[in-house]
Amino acid sequence: MIRDITLGQYYPGDSKIHGLDPRTKIICTFAYIISLFLVRDFLGFAITVAFLSYTIFLSKVPLKFIFKGLKPIFFIIIFTFTVNMFMTKGETLVEIWFLTITKEGLYNAFFMGLRLILLIIGSSLLTLTTKPINLTDGIERLLSPFRKIGVPAHELAMMMTIALRFIPTLLEETDKIMKAQMARGADFETGNLLRRAKSLIPLLVPLFISAFRIAQDLAMAMEARCYRGGDHRTRMNAMRFHWRDALASFAMIGFIAIILLQAYVF
Amino acid sequence: MKTKYLVHGAVIAAVYTALTLLLMPLSYGVMQIRVSEALTVLPALSPAAIPGLFIGCFVANMLGPNGMIDIILGSSATLLAALASYKLRNRPLLVPLPPVLANGLIIGPMLYYVYAVPVPLWACILWVALGEAIACYGIGLPLLRYMSKRKSIFR
Repeated sequence: MIRDITLGQYYPGDSKIHGLDPRTKIICTFAYIISLFLVRDFLGFAITVAFLSYTIFLSKVPLKFIFKGLKPIFFIIIFTFTVNMFMTKGETLVEIWFLTITKEGLYNAFFMGLRLILLIIGSSLLTLTTKPINLTDGIERLLSPFRKIGVPAHELAMMMTIALRFIPTLLEETDKIMKAQMARGADFETGNLLRRAKSLIPLLVPLFISAFRIAQDLAMAMEARCYRGGDHRTRMNAMRFHWRDALASFAMIGFIAIILLQAYVF
Repeated sequence: MKTKYLVHGAVIAAVYTALTLLLMPLSYGVMQIRVSEALTVLPALSPAAIPGLFIGCFVANMLGPNGMIDIILGSSATLLAALASYKLRNRPLLVPLPPVLANGLIIGPMLYYVYAVPVPLWACILWVALGEAIACYGIGLPLLRYMSKRKSIFR
């Protein structure tokens, strides 16, 4: 059960998109998401699809992986689509018994469905092409200007890095505790929802105790190596902007300009 | 002292993420009951849980399938709730309330506006709050009771 879990969605590769600075990728993803909400018609989405397809092509991530990200929200998409189609009032196109499909409904259904799909694919491209650790570094650097107003950028990023390191350890630990409790007669699988939820408590308490034992050791090891926070720390792999980051940023600015022009000028 | 706070936060974040990933299909999506949200009672026991839960939710959503908006709004909801739970730490029965409210009022509208889930707004809010209440009151409250007896591990 625990063997099945892959941490995150990272798809290893050395494409042009993989090689971008994580900061560039985070900011571009933000800009992309905002641009999706600026689009007002299908022509705008056609431009977006073209832009996104080219980015996916450059990233060399197989389409199979891209669409895998859609699986968990498949039901939302279908649900959104159906309800929008049947519930929107307007000019009737088809009438089957009590269900009517209107022109506006059909338009809404496709519009909302497409936006949702583009939203998920676009933002999963960030996690597909960036290692969680690099993402954390990027976030730390992006947040560091806010240190002046009291945002503990380094501490948050450090916590994130440690957490990422310990997730597999704790998954394994959970598995062990689960088996140990089952051997003692614990039942995690039957009963109604509330009962099943309650059955997790004998799992959580030992998990915490073991997690905090790990924390104790780690804190001691860090202090023994004179860890004292973010100031004056140097990095093994310093992040640097390259010409391709500038290129990517220009492409993104160009894309948003086209979307804005298409939606609000022409 | 500071290192310990940092590491405690990190471990709480890791437990949150591990539990979320372990109970994967139930943890994400519209009809979610995220068992790991039971951990939102922890600020009552240790202030390190405030950044811990925030990071935990951030990482869990980062590894999850729902994209950037869920990462930002979901973890802010958790952060607000954790701060409020910390303030309410002397009233155990109220400790699980902030996450129910914060998630209902932030994630509900998010589903409605961003993911365009086509049910009325109040239903989105109620639905999220209900899933959250099952996790926070059903598991969180008993967890708080047991962990209070073992407060020494948080020191």
